[in-house]
Amino acid sequence: MILLAFNVAGFIGRFHPVLVHMPVGILMLAALFIALSVYDRFKSLKVAITISLVTGMVSAVASCVTGFLLSKTDSYESTLLFKHQWYAIAVAIVSAIVLYLHLKNRETRWGAGLMVLLVMITGHLGGSITHGSDFLTKAFSSGGGGSDPFGKPIPNVQETVAYTAIIKPILDSKCLSCHGPNKQKGRLRLDDPSFILKGGEDGAAVIAGKPLESALMKRILLSRENKDHMPPPEKPQLTKQDIDLLNWWISTGANFDRKVKELEQSDKIKSILKSLESEKAVEEIPLSDVPEQPVEKGSEEAIQKLKERGIAVVPIAQNSNYLSANFVAVEGFNPKDLQLLEPVKKQLIWLKLGNMAVTDDALESLGKLSNLRMLHLQKTKITDQGLPQLIKIQELKFMNLGGTNVSAKGVEQLKGLKNLRQLYLYQTSISAEELNNLKKLFPKVEIEAGGYQVPALDGDTTVLKGPITK
Amino acid sequence: MSERQNQKLSKEAEHAVLQQYTRRHFLKDGAMGFGALALGSLLGGCFGKSSASAHTLFDASNPLASRPPQFPGKAKSVIYIHMAGAPSQLELFSYKPELAKLDGLDCPQSLLEGKKFAFIRGVPKMLGPQAVFRQHGKSGLWLSDNLPHLATVADEIAMLNAVTTDQFNHAPAQLLMHTGSARLGRPSIGAWVTYGMGTENKNLPGFVVLTSGGNNPDAGKSVWGSGFLPSVYQGVQCRSEGDPVLFIKDPSGMDRDLRKASIDAINKVNQEQYAEYKDPEILSRISQYEMAYKMQISVPDVMNINDEPQYIHEMYGTQPGKTSFANNVLLARKLVEKGVRFVQLFDWGWDTHGDSAGNAVDIGLVNKCRKVDRPITALLLDLKQRGLLDETLVIWGQEFGRTPMQENREGKKMPFKGRDHHSAAFNMWMAGGGIKGGVTYGETDEIGYNIVSGKTEAYDIQATILNQLGFDHEKLTFESQGRNFRLTDLSGKVINEIIA
Repeated sequence: MILLAFNVAGFIGRFHPVLVHMPVGILMLAALFIALSVYDRFKSLKVAITISLVTGMVSAVASCVTGFLLSKTDSYESTLLFKHQWYAIAVAIVSAIVLYLHLKNRETRWGAGLMVLLVMITGHLGGSITHGSDFLTKAFSSGGGGSDPFGKPIPNVQETVAYTAIIKPILDSKCLSCHGPNKQKGRLRLDDPSFILKGGEDGAAVIAGKPLESALMKRILLSRENKDHMPPPEKPQLTKQDIDLLNWWISTGANFDRKVKELEQSDKIKSILKSLESEKAVEEIPLSDVPEQPVEKGSEEAIQKLKERGIAVVPIAQNSNYLSANFVAVEGFNPKDLQLLEPVKKQLIWLKLGNMAVTDDALESLGKLSNLRMLHLQKTKITDQGLPQLIKIQELKFMNLGGTNVSAKGVEQLKGLKNLRQLYLYQTSISAEELNNLKKLFPKVEIEAGGYQVPALDGDTTVLKGPITK
Repeated sequence: MSERQNQKLSKEAEHAVLQQYTRRHFLKDGAMGFGALALGSLLGGCFGKSSASAHTLFDASNPLASRPPQFPGKAKSVIYIHMAGAPSQLELFSYKPELAKLDGLDCPQSLLEGKKFAFIRGVPKMLGPQAVFRQHGKSGLWLSDNLPHLATVADEIAMLNAVTTDQFNHAPAQLLMHTGSARLGRPSIGAWVTYGMGTENKNLPGFVVLTSGGNNPDAGKSVWGSGFLPSVYQGVQCRSEGDPVLFIKDPSGMDRDLRKASIDAINKVNQEQYAEYKDPEILSRISQYEMAYKMQISVPDVMNINDEPQYIHEMYGTQPGKTSFANNVLLARKLVEKGVRFVQLFDWGWDTHGDSAGNAVDIGLVNKCRKVDRPITALLLDLKQRGLLDETLVIWGQEFGRTPMQENREGKKMPFKGRDHHSAAFNMWMAGGGIKGGVTYGETDEIGYNIVSGKTEAYDIQATILNQLGFDHEKLTFESQGRNFRLTDLSGKVINEIIA
């Protein structure tokens, strides 16, 4: 019975967020009417003042009652709550006094002024409880208070203390509004190592070395539909990167003092950590064939021209300005078409020209596309003479020269491409011996000359009539 | 025409027009037309807040235009080879020496309790592996002698040892694998991918389907259907014998110019219809007519394997002019080279129940393996030498696996050695497209009956494929019937363990 009564009380308490807005609005309006009634033409507002003061006062009392009930159901930060509660009671009392004075036809303006002031203070305190005390100021501090915990890049991330530089900002931005100094839902605070270790009413939040047994991770990893999922679905969620980092920190021992470099790092974590050093937090692991630095948008007009020519030009990803271009559907290729690419040379990183009649002369305009990472030139008309032009594309990582007239001598000229990692020479005249020499000459490059065969086996063509006897 | 007939006709036309205006149509148009009004914003909520994002991907006037993925994906295209009928993992990929010791013994009751089988009744006998297994490559991958060629490229493959499904009949299991639902009506994975990325070659469809083995898969064309996605994203079935696409040739007596003129005329009428009803399906239809016209030239060209050099034919074991799995595999490579996004191969005839020699795990299965082993191996090597393996995801798929017990249809002994459908544990593999080579993921118990670790569901495979192409499977959605749908429905986890 007691339990039921408590639940009913809790239920009524939940109307607090709805009710609180009534006294704020109505009492403000009452104060406005009172101020206006100084002028003769607004004298007729007298009745309205009475009505608004009565409803305002009643709703203020109702808000106080529901607020009191709500405060019993959850753990809120006590000093803020204490202030909010007594200011709210003051609002109710002052509004009652103003109403009394008004009915007695006495001076109400000073009372109304005090009332407005109290309403504002109470409202602000209430807002601080629900949204966090830095809600108002956050807009100034980190560009709108978005969901990115790392507002600024962290220079030299490996030298920082993992907890302070990486984990704390995540907890601060995604957890603290309910599990911080102002509010401790589930009696959990996550703003200080001692509280994190202590945990909440369900026990420890973090079990060092065991991310999947830590209540913190368990709640985060639950599907968003699950009622135990954290953060609550309507609050900003952790990104994949946040989760990976938390998981990493807990699995390496949930240590509060160690530096990043002292903790074991998988390749994935390494690249996420690396991304924290750059200006923009990268959600996905950057691939080696995508530059890390962002670029401005390519000229719409130039892109439109390329599209009209039948070239498939698309950004490499929805949130990227880098472009890829594929000539596969181009009819009647003309070397001049390559000039269309020049206006987007900063953005263009992947280019497919396979099977097009690209000649050595045309390579001059290709050489200007200095940002290319990937270049497909298979089955084009290029020869050794054109290759020096390609050295200018210093960023080149992948190049396909299969089915062209290049020779081993010609390919040697590509020595200057320091970033080259993959080179395809299938269907060229390069002999096995020359290939071996090239591989020695380009130790960092994976050279693929193909020529694979699948040797015919007896079984390939015979049909079995019965089981093979062993 | 009599007056009465005339009246009847105009009434019918009026009806047809009215049918276009459904209640939904009215509400939606109303909501947009009076967008500034409160009504609009209120109703807007009813249509789902993400309707704007759901439609940004679909550009009705050019639905197949190449589009960027959500993040830079490793794979640009997919060749998904589905062995329809479900080959026996116990004779191909799953080495179970313990099972050999149990050969011929009665299946323990504990394995049968509460289980449902398609054909097994009563107490079946255990059936040991009917193939010799060896380790291959640097990774030491266990493969049976039924796939001697594939063994040479073992280090390119990521083997999924613990795939599982909840369907034990072919059609629903195939649907689950390809559409994320065992029931009809959902778009297939190829349709989702073309919806997400379009196609790089405007003259070819983005999603091509090739079948071999004498039959289409049991689930019919729904396994490459577009479901509730605009129909332009459904798979286009091509044939390697005769006309590559049925009904694409000009009818006799109609030359290409006349064809063009008639398509233009039809499209003009359709444009007028669109102006009136704003139904995006009309634009899809227009672009499909145009695509078909372009395909008259481009498809026969790309579907012709006669021009391939002799050594390529020897490599794949292809014979031009025939319908064969090998031909389809070679075509798949050509299509991917030409910028086709998703090539789906179905090979029928792997349903080795043991009811005939052709369906015996020690006869028919071996013959099926001989038909696919060489072309698949050639495909991996050929993609590799052309610099395409890194950006082409190749998948060996099947709808389920086969039981470690010998099938005893209707409780009787079968004439040949065969195995029943088994949904709890089977194998699939992936290669290329940013997948790690020479790794395995998941384990099954000593007889391959149940999964021990690394459980992999259809949704996980779908999530992984989308991930390799640059999509978060949770964010590639389409609004239908008032809610957002996605391929993986409410499940799916990217198999990070096999990603390079």
